[in-house]
Parts: sequence; C-alpha cells; structure tokens
Amino acid sequence: MTAAAMLGLLCNVLVVLGITGFFVNAGKLFGPHPRHQGDGDLPYETGVRPIAPAFERMTASYWRYAVLFVVFDVDLAFLLPWALARPVLDLHTMLAITAFVALVLFMLAYFWRKGVLECR
Amino acid sequence: MIALAPQAVLTAGTLGALSLGLMRRPSALGLRVLAVSSIVAAMLSVATGSVHELSSVIVMNDPKSLGWHYVICLGALPLAFFLDGSDDVMTALFLGATLGMSLLCVAANLPMLFISLEFMSLPAYLLVARSRPGSRSLEAAIKYFFAGGVAGALFMLGLALYYADTRSLAFSGSLSALGQGGAALMAAAALFKLGAFPLHWWLPDVYEAAAPEVSGFLSTAMKSAAVLFLMRLCEMAPTASVADFLPGVGALTAVVGSVMALRQERLQRLLAYSSIAHAGFLLLGVGAWARAGRSGEGASALLFYLGVYALMSNGTFGFIKHAGAQTRAQLKGLGVSMPAAAAALTALLVSLAGIPPTGGFFAKLLIFWRAVDAGLLGPAALAATAALISMGYYLGMIKDMWFEEPSGPAPVASEGLGVVIACAAAAVLLGAAPWLLAQAMEVGIK
Repeated sequence: MTAAAMLGLLCNVLVVLGITGFFVNAGKLFGPHPRHQGDGDLPYETGVRPIAPAFERMTASYWRYAVLFVVFDVDLAFLLPWALARPVLDLHTMLAITAFVALVLFMLAYFWRKGVLECR
Repeated sequence: MIALAPQAVLTAGTLGALSLGLMRRPSALGLRVLAVSSIVAAMLSVATGSVHELSSVIVMNDPKSLGWHYVICLGALPLAFFLDGSDDVMTALFLGATLGMSLLCVAANLPMLFISLEFMSLPAYLLVARSRPGSRSLEAAIKYFFAGGVAGALFMLGLALYYADTRSLAFSGSLSALGQGGAALMAAAALFKLGAFPLHWWLPDVYEAAAPEVSGFLSTAMKSAAVLFLMRLCEMAPTASVADFLPGVGALTAVVGSVMALRQERLQRLLAYSSIAHAGFLLLGVGAWARAGRSGEGASALLFYLGVYALMSNGTFGFIKHAGAQTRAQLKGLGVSMPAAAAALTALLVSLAGIPPTGGFFAKLLIFWRAVDAGLLGPAALAATAALISMGYYLGMIKDMWFEEPSGPAPVASEGLGVVIACAAAAVLLGAAPWLLAQAMEVGIK
C-alpha cells in the first residue's frame, strides 16, 4: 500500500461522503420550506381526514416464495463451481454431491409437508 | 473424516429434529432425547478428534478448537434439557446454532469463520423470536438481527481490506496499515457479538425479551464462540494494534455492565448487564493472552472462566425459568417458599460475584493473574473495582431471598429445578477442586 494509493483511498472516501451528504441534505437546502401549521402535516387522503395512522403492518404473502426461491437458487448455483472444480468423477465425489442434493431435496420435502408451498 | 465427528453428530441431530417434525404427531419425548443426546454425543466425540489430526485449507483442529468445543457444548446442554419437545423447529434451531458454533471452532480461514458466524447467529435470532409468544420477543429478535447484520457487514468490510493487503484469506502474519484497519473492523464484529461496551446496546433488550433458558444459552455458548472468534482474529494479526485496545475495552465493559446492573429491577435485564460485565472480564483475559505472546496458560484461564460461567449463567437463567420470578421484588421470601431453589441460586450468585470457595472465584483469580502477569495493572485494577461493584447486586439478591418478607403472592414454580441444582453444585465443586474441569476436558483432549 503506497502513500499515493492511500491518498486515492482518502479522496474516494471524501468524495463518497460529499456526494451522499449532498443528496441527503439537498431537499433541505433547495426544497420548499413548509410551514408546519393547520392541517398541513396531515397525510392527503382525497380530502377526507385520515381515520387511522398510516404506519401499520401490511401482509406480504409473496415473501415466503421469494425466500424459498433464493435458498434453492443459491444452493443449486453451488453445483456449477463444483462441476468445474471436480473434472474427475469418482465414487467419493459422486457420493458427496449426492448427499448435498439429497439435503436440498429433504428441505423441499420439509417445506412441502409443512404447508409452506401452499398458496395463501 | 472422524476428526469432524462433533460437527457430523450435530448435523445429524439437526436433520433428525426436522425429520421428527415431519411425522404426523411429533413425539415430544423423542425430540427431548434427541436434543440432549446430540449435545452429549458431540461432547464425547471431541474425544475422537486429536490435535493437528485435521488440517486443510478450511478446517483445522488445534488445542483451542477442542477445548472451546467442549465449553460450547457445556453451555448448550442446559437448554437441551429445558426444551420441552413440543416444537421441533426450536430443537432444530437450537442444534443448528450449536452446529454453527462448533464449525467456528474448526474454522481455519476467514470466509469459513464468517460462514460459521452467520450459521450460529441466524438460528439464534429465530430462537429468540420463537422462544416466547407475543410481539416483544419478535421485536427483540429483529433488534438482534440488525445488530448481527451490522456485525456481519463490518466483518465483510474488514475481510475485504485484509484481502486487499495480504492477498490471502488464511490466518497469516504481517500486516500493513490497510490490513490493520481490516483486522480492527473484524474485531469490532467480534465485540458486537460479545456485547462489549460501546457495542452492547442490543444485548439487554434481547436477553430480557427472550425466554430465560434461551438467554442462558446465548450468554454462555454464544459468548464462548465470540471469544474464540476474537482470539482467532488476534492470532491472524499477531502484531495488530487491535489487541492493545482489548484490556481497556474489557475493563470499561466490566464497569459499565456492573454499574448498569445495580439499578435493574427486572431479573433478566439485571442478568443481561451482569453478562456484559462478565464479557468485560473475558476481554481483559483475551487482551492479557494476546499480550503475553498467546500463551497456553492465558487460553486455559479463559477456557476455565468460560466453563464456570457456562454453569453459573445457565443456572441463574434456569432459576428464573424454574421459579417464575420476574423481578427482584419477587425474590423476597423465596428462601422460605422454595428453599432448595433459593439455596442453589445463592451458591450461583456467590460464584458469579467471585467469592471463594466457588468456581467463579478461581475463574476471576486466573484472569486477574494473567492480566497482572502481562503487565496490565491499570485495566486489572479497573476490572477489580467492577467486580467489587457487582457484589452490590449479587449479594443484594441473596439478602432479598433470605432476609426479606415476601411482598406479594409467591411465584409458582415449574420444572427445571434439577438443572439449576446441577449447575450450582458443579459451580461450587469447581471452586473446591478447580482441576476437575481440566481433567474432564483432558478426557476429551488427548
């Protein structure tokens, strides 16, 4: 790590801090300055007064499939480097990868049996 | 292959718990037996792995990995007894977290260290969330998750800097300024996990909201793993200036934990601050070990402390589970209504305070001895002050139990008295015969 490289890193840090700091505060600097009075701060709901706070929990029923997809996707993506790194297929490597795939299959069976795959 | 026997046993246990859960009516007894037998088998199978038998790019066995494996299983064992087998996912998560910790014991390079760190943390978040019904434990789990996420991000950033400097992912020697920065970031991740002073804010909320037996598991097995994690980082960068900060951070942590615990009314929160204070003593020990050339004596002092603390903390949290006492006020008069449990808690508190003749006394003595030996007089004196302050609440709780009239209806006792008494007896026994822990482990570490 030379001094020049360290200087470059320092400049990079400064630029990153400057740009993010600018964008975070740009609204305050150039935006309109609202007067916090009257009904001005209420959320706008087509002229009707809000009946409940806007910050509440919402269901996201799709996240479960998204998470499952990512899990299996990452697991099976592991097969590719394995295939590239193990050009010789002997019994030992076959057993190892079979155990791995069996584990992934077990997980799929588990989720199926527990009703995770059911559409709700 | 046989060298990885503990990990294989725990993997089989985790998968076994999930398989039992697939049955139409999961057998509660089966799950309980599985949890306890997996941990005991993992403990015994350390005996089959001898030092240096295993060494590859990603896994290795050295004296520390075997010793720490033993202590981690000791910290996990009480929770195995407390899990009631009604929830197969809890058993699987518990065994999975323990598996992650035992992988951390054998990790030989930095990516493996990171994977095992996440492997033990992710089930722990879910354990906290599932351990109690209601939204408070969920909130605590999310807080824990974000704290853990920050720690993981710090580690990855540190790893990137370290790799940029050394072009290597293994534990290696000399570092330039860039690698030192990386080592510092990775150590910050370890301090996060350990709950050291400036990074301890998440810990009381988590330990208070989780079920007490789960907090016991986190405060012992998880902390043991975090200590080993920190020691591996110190080994990786022997000349790093990171190790120079550890004694001071440790002494401060001990003081902050002890002072904050003085004012707590809720028992689990009090014990959470007490575990922060104990993390401070451990950090002092790690600092002394690093400063004295990473000697075997320093490591065994830490191992003894962790072994005794595994008994003390699990016993105390187990008492909360058993007696159902939530606040210090509910401790009043327990000496009359539950004499056996109160006597066990008294022994545990005496040991936590570090009063002879208990295991806690020898544990603190060994750490202070190592610290003074390494020339760390200032931090040792500060930590000793913290130990004195901590007597205020440990002895205060004993006074509440035996010398105060009950102020409300007595709490209702549930199961778990056996675990509490076993932990208390073992903690006292280790004070009478401190060599027993070493001998018990030598059975494992040939």
